[in-house]
Amino acid sequence: MAVDVKTWASKFKNLTDNDETIQCMGKYYTCSFLYDMTDCKVIVEMHDGKVKNINTDPAPLDPYDFALRASAQTWREFAKPMPKPMFHGIWAASFCEDLKLEGNLLVLMQNLRNFTVQFELLRKCGVPV
Amino acid sequence: MARHSPVTGRYVTIEVDGNEYKVFYLHNGNGQPLICQHTAGAHNHQWRGLLEDEEFTRDYNIIAYDLPRHGKSDPPHNREWWKEEYRLTAEHYVNFIVKLCDALELKDPIFMGSSFGGNVALQLALRRPDRFKAVIPVEAADYAPGFFLDWWRHPHANAAQVCASGVWDLMAPQSPDMDRWLTWHYYSQGSEAFKGDLYFYSVDHDLREELQNIDARRCPVVMMTGIYDYLTPPEATENTARQIRGGVYIEMEDIGHFPMSENHEVFRVYLREALRIIRERTG
Repeated sequence: MAVDVKTWASKFKNLTDNDETIQCMGKYYTCSFLYDMTDCKVIVEMHDGKVKNINTDPAPLDPYDFALRASAQTWREFAKPMPKPMFHGIWAASFCEDLKLEGNLLVLMQNLRNFTVQFELLRKCGVPV
Repeated sequence: MARHSPVTGRYVTIEVDGNEYKVFYLHNGNGQPLICQHTAGAHNHQWRGLLEDEEFTRDYNIIAYDLPRHGKSDPPHNREWWKEEYRLTAEHYVNFIVKLCDALELKDPIFMGSSFGGNVALQLALRRPDRFKAVIPVEAADYAPGFFLDWWRHPHANAAQVCASGVWDLMAPQSPDMDRWLTWHYYSQGSEAFKGDLYFYSVDHDLREELQNIDARRCPVVMMTGIYDYLTPPEATENTARQIRGGVYIEMEDIGHFPMSENHEVFRVYLREALRIIRERTG
């Protein structure tokens, strides 16, 4: 049973804002990105390492810098405490599975350290699909 | 009492294809020479676990060098290298390794390398089977396209972090945090060389039509790949080993693309088996 998206957003924000690895180098981690989980979409807005807002019901023209799109099943694999090979990161899943990286990837690269750490927090809070 | 490591470091100057290189290497152990190549954009500290592992140093003379432009091995001192783009080629890479082994007077060394070091191990087995007792290509394949990317040194991004975090999920989630972050740390230091290394890895290295010309009965080839390696997935290595006469493939559980660096305790179990096979085949 997938967790409600608003409950998930609260957990994800709390984990991010209290993660020591992100916060020790959180300054300037400012960008926005879409998690497209097929059955659910959210836009996460970051400001200086903290979650400024999570839009849990994005409209078609709501802006973001870059997007991660994959099937709900792939997102469920990302969220396992010990993910299977090829579901253990965005590079692995984009090379070998159905993850698509879209939008302004330069922003992703500019924030890659913290984004990568934050993405792995899904293993603690699960996904809303 | 100072807590000195038994590992020592030295420099040796060699000339390769007109380039003068002052090469730094770490060393420990006695017996059969085992020379180790780090991964692209990294340096010889990736072998820190093996260099201090008494089970191996008891019988093996372990040498881990920094390829020029990595770690403490400078770019060539006799050329204005800053005026040209660095792109490593298979020919130069092979020539370098052979010249280094000659300079260190290594008799019948076993060559082991990971990732682009694994791919050059295959090149050595093809081009210089006479010079090496055996090769251990780790995380290697006949062809590994897709990683020669501009992102590794894009001027609008922090190249150190892009390289370090860009290879993060080449490692297995089971590997210890400390070892994964040390590997991250090494990668944050090598961004200027990384893309040039990957020219060899993803572009110039292509043995798809050459595998039948490698004879592992003459120079044993024992390939090992971790199941979390997305860049050289296990099936790519297995497929490569199967096409080499006498080639051996070992699959490594719960480990990724930097096995010696991300989890030596797991890696050493498989390395022990690889060396046993080589002893069995070479006497």
